[in-house]
Amino acid sequence: MSDLCSGGPVRRPAGDPAPYERGAADLATGRRTLLQLGGAGLAMSAATAGLGMEHAEAVSPRTRKRAYVFVIDGCKPEEIDAGLTPHLMRLRDRGMRWSRASSMPIMETIPNHVMMMTGVRPDRSGVPANSIYDRSIRDTRTLDRARDLGADTILQRLNRQGLRTATVLSKEYLYGIFGPRAKRRWEPFPIIPVSGHAPDEFTMRAATAMVEDYDPHLMFVNLGDIDRYGHTDLTGPTGVRALRNLALAKTDNYIAQFTRMLVETGRWKNSMMIVLADHSMDWSYPHRVVSLQGPMDSDPFLAGKVAIGDNGGADLLYWLGPAAQREKAVRRMQRVAARVDGVHAALPRTKKWMRLGPEAGDVVVFCKKGWRFSDPDPVTSNPIPGNHGHLVTRSIPFFITGGHRSVQRGVASADVAHTVDVAPTVADFFGVKGSPRGGWDGRSRL
Amino acid sequence: MNLNPPVRRRTVLATGTAGAAGVGLAGGVLPDPAEAAGKRYFRHGVASGDPRPTKCVIWTRVTPTAQATPGSGKGPKVTVRWEVAKDARFRKVVRRGTFSTGPHRDHTVKLDVTGLKSGRRYFYRFVYRGTRSRVGRLQTAPARSASPRNLRFGVVSCANLQAVWFSVYRHLAKRHDLDAVVHLGDYLYEYGPGEYGYGSDNVDIRRHDPAHEMVSLEDYRRRHAQYKRDPDLQDAHARFPWIVTWDDHEVTNDQWRGGAENHDASEGDYLKRRARAHRAYDEWMPVLLDGTAELGDGTRLFRRLRFGKLAEISMLDLRTYRSEQVATPAIDPAVSNPHRTITGKVQLRWLKKSFVRKRALWKVIGNPVMITPVTFAQLPGELVDPVSSVTGIIPTDGAPYNVDQWDGYTHDRQEVVNFINNHHVENALFITGDIHSAWACEIPNDVGSYPLSGSAGVEFVCSSVTSNNLKDITGTPSRTTSIAVEQVIMADNPHIKHLNFDDHGFSVLDLNAKRAQMDWFVISDRADRDATLRYQTSYVTRTGTSTVQRADGPVAR
Repeated sequence: MSDLCSGGPVRRPAGDPAPYERGAADLATGRRTLLQLGGAGLAMSAATAGLGMEHAEAVSPRTRKRAYVFVIDGCKPEEIDAGLTPHLMRLRDRGMRWSRASSMPIMETIPNHVMMMTGVRPDRSGVPANSIYDRSIRDTRTLDRARDLGADTILQRLNRQGLRTATVLSKEYLYGIFGPRAKRRWEPFPIIPVSGHAPDEFTMRAATAMVEDYDPHLMFVNLGDIDRYGHTDLTGPTGVRALRNLALAKTDNYIAQFTRMLVETGRWKNSMMIVLADHSMDWSYPHRVVSLQGPMDSDPFLAGKVAIGDNGGADLLYWLGPAAQREKAVRRMQRVAARVDGVHAALPRTKKWMRLGPEAGDVVVFCKKGWRFSDPDPVTSNPIPGNHGHLVTRSIPFFITGGHRSVQRGVASADVAHTVDVAPTVADFFGVKGSPRGGWDGRSRL
Repeated sequence: MNLNPPVRRRTVLATGTAGAAGVGLAGGVLPDPAEAAGKRYFRHGVASGDPRPTKCVIWTRVTPTAQATPGSGKGPKVTVRWEVAKDARFRKVVRRGTFSTGPHRDHTVKLDVTGLKSGRRYFYRFVYRGTRSRVGRLQTAPARSASPRNLRFGVVSCANLQAVWFSVYRHLAKRHDLDAVVHLGDYLYEYGPGEYGYGSDNVDIRRHDPAHEMVSLEDYRRRHAQYKRDPDLQDAHARFPWIVTWDDHEVTNDQWRGGAENHDASEGDYLKRRARAHRAYDEWMPVLLDGTAELGDGTRLFRRLRFGKLAEISMLDLRTYRSEQVATPAIDPAVSNPHRTITGKVQLRWLKKSFVRKRALWKVIGNPVMITPVTFAQLPGELVDPVSSVTGIIPTDGAPYNVDQWDGYTHDRQEVVNFINNHHVENALFITGDIHSAWACEIPNDVGSYPLSGSAGVEFVCSSVTSNNLKDITGTPSRTTSIAVEQVIMADNPHIKHLNFDDHGFSVLDLNAKRAQMDWFVISDRADRDATLRYQTSYVTRTGTSTVQRADGPVAR
């Protein structure tokens, strides 16, 4: 199911607490700071611990460097132009840009945000998709728990250096999976029902407040409007994309206001701003739906033994039968899926280039452009027109701008930049030595 | 392909009023006496081609005796020395060797020099009996892992020697900023004098040699030799490496895999004729056929040339494998027949690989004939299929006007567009020749729902070096009658952003990681031996957009 998330409401086993309820607990214990901005209530929680890895805050270094990572969720590279996003375009053109930047499998929000912050691929982080089949609970669920993320993040790495880190993430599940890894985190609010995200207007107010009040060395921001409006935009398949274009224009303006604030407060000259998307977007007509549950259950060998994690443009297929039959099952699932209209490719999950771990199941199926998956139910599971996760949604904008001298001016590269490059770039910017055990999977873009 | 095939076959005697020059053209200005002496043996200049990171083809033709004229089959076997140096004075020679040639290969010398360094400029020359050829200059391609700031190519097509002087090549050779020249076909023409010349009356300002349509191997060799004696063409070859493909006239007009419009039974077996044409082409052009500089080991011309991470050029052969053109363009449903092909199965599969994402940023396709649909039927794509199935008269992506182009083979085109879409290929850039006019187009995913349905890529079409364009055929002054035609076509085809039917010239394609820009330069009266050059217009496509817009000015004049 798609990122909207993946089928409307986030999938969480019954009885499991919402990840951000921890923020509510913070509020109850008085560790939560309420900021009033323009009449809107913004809640910021102060967390100091993270998965038992963080310790007492070190003395903050005196570096004036500031890094801001803005994820324009779901933005297509060609959407940054003079028409709807003139400010983003100006920022891009004045900085360093990568014309062939790419999201990585699965082209969904959670895994790519995780790749940005960890600098490692899903086979090392344990986060391959938004929606997986969790064999331990025998159900599908969203990867939105802090313990789902099994790799060190740049947030923690900077924390250990005594630098201040913050997350301002518009989506509930992102707030959930990063948990308390940043020293300061904003709990998304107000949340739009179904979409599970806070509008960019509020997210940007929180980001501004975070800078003004806390002045983090690294702030990681997700802006969800463009993605969310894209998902639900019924004019998407026609190419009109009225809702999405509106969101693009508004978000562009928010970014302009934020950068103006950086300039006016003297921060800009010490800043590096990485702007990228986590994935792109594709739209489908209502009749361009692929549902694999039926074909799998119609196959005598596979019937009742295949679970599906629907990620909009990608289905993850899990063999539930005897392990001894897995190889045969993988081949059979591939064969059955490949015959279904709208399927672009059905690949063994172990394909090296995908770098997906066992959490991603046994077979990964991508749909064609202009199609989407809806599983297990072909009608109700994924009714939204905008989706990603498939290969055509790989292209993303990716540029580094800012006033710091390490940011080159007006250059473009034909290299392929990836979401996984963000963490090593931030580490390089701050001069943080070392790398994860096994090294970065990405590389610094400075 | 020409805009007006019927005119081409009309026999009009050359009047000579424009000054027929014959075949014995003087060579270009040579830099030193030793090289001037080389004119005796190296009358056809020097050339380089197909630059790769550590390799480049170099070429010349030696005339060891007066009898060893092109196509004659006469003259001794000889050995020619060759040298490649870092400097023009050859004090730092990096590669040298000898090459044996003789009448069996029309005394041409062609070899693939290896062991060069990537992204470097070199100079090369040939030596026979102590006499040196003129010095040629080549530049190797950047390394595969390199990220060049930009790449710049001259782009030309359609040079009919009978029509007039090669002033376009002269001006091209004056540039200092090109990495290579891409020639998109119709490097030479098969016609005899009076069959296809200058303007609507087919005046032969220069006369082809031999003085009849080329059919035999001797004919093809002599015609190549005649073109290679042109001083402007020699200068352009000596100045830059060329990346070439053929269109139809390198064999004969409107050729397809089993025949050609300009071929009949009296001219013998078509495939044998084509084999002779390809043999002469292999001998006389600085190009790799079947991946080698060897002769007789295959004639596969489609190939890819990589220029670091920034660009890869895939040169197509759209003649050798194509099905026959339909006879009645406006009403023949066969243009959409999936069994008809313009590329052939193998080449289409290869072309799709050219679009694989991990390749270079710009996927440049050297495309001999235009791929952008040019249609007069603006129906939504959803409706075209039903209408087509009922009436059988409308091809699935619009009514074509020129079925010698991809418009006549819409199934292959749709395969390409679908592949680009399904794999979200970005920065597919077709550069095209053939139609003696300048175009800047977006290639719609679906003509009927464009622009909402977006574009699969863009196409820039260069004008001809000399071959007749619309104003030449109509005999009207420039920018008069053609303007109305251009406006009608652009009104019916909103994906076509620029069209000029009137001028001759070359284009300059400049690529960087932000955009690709095509500049069109045009000459004054092509009948003027001293025609001047002026900049005309520029169009740009920004990375990831598959759209074109007019640019403010040229990247360089």
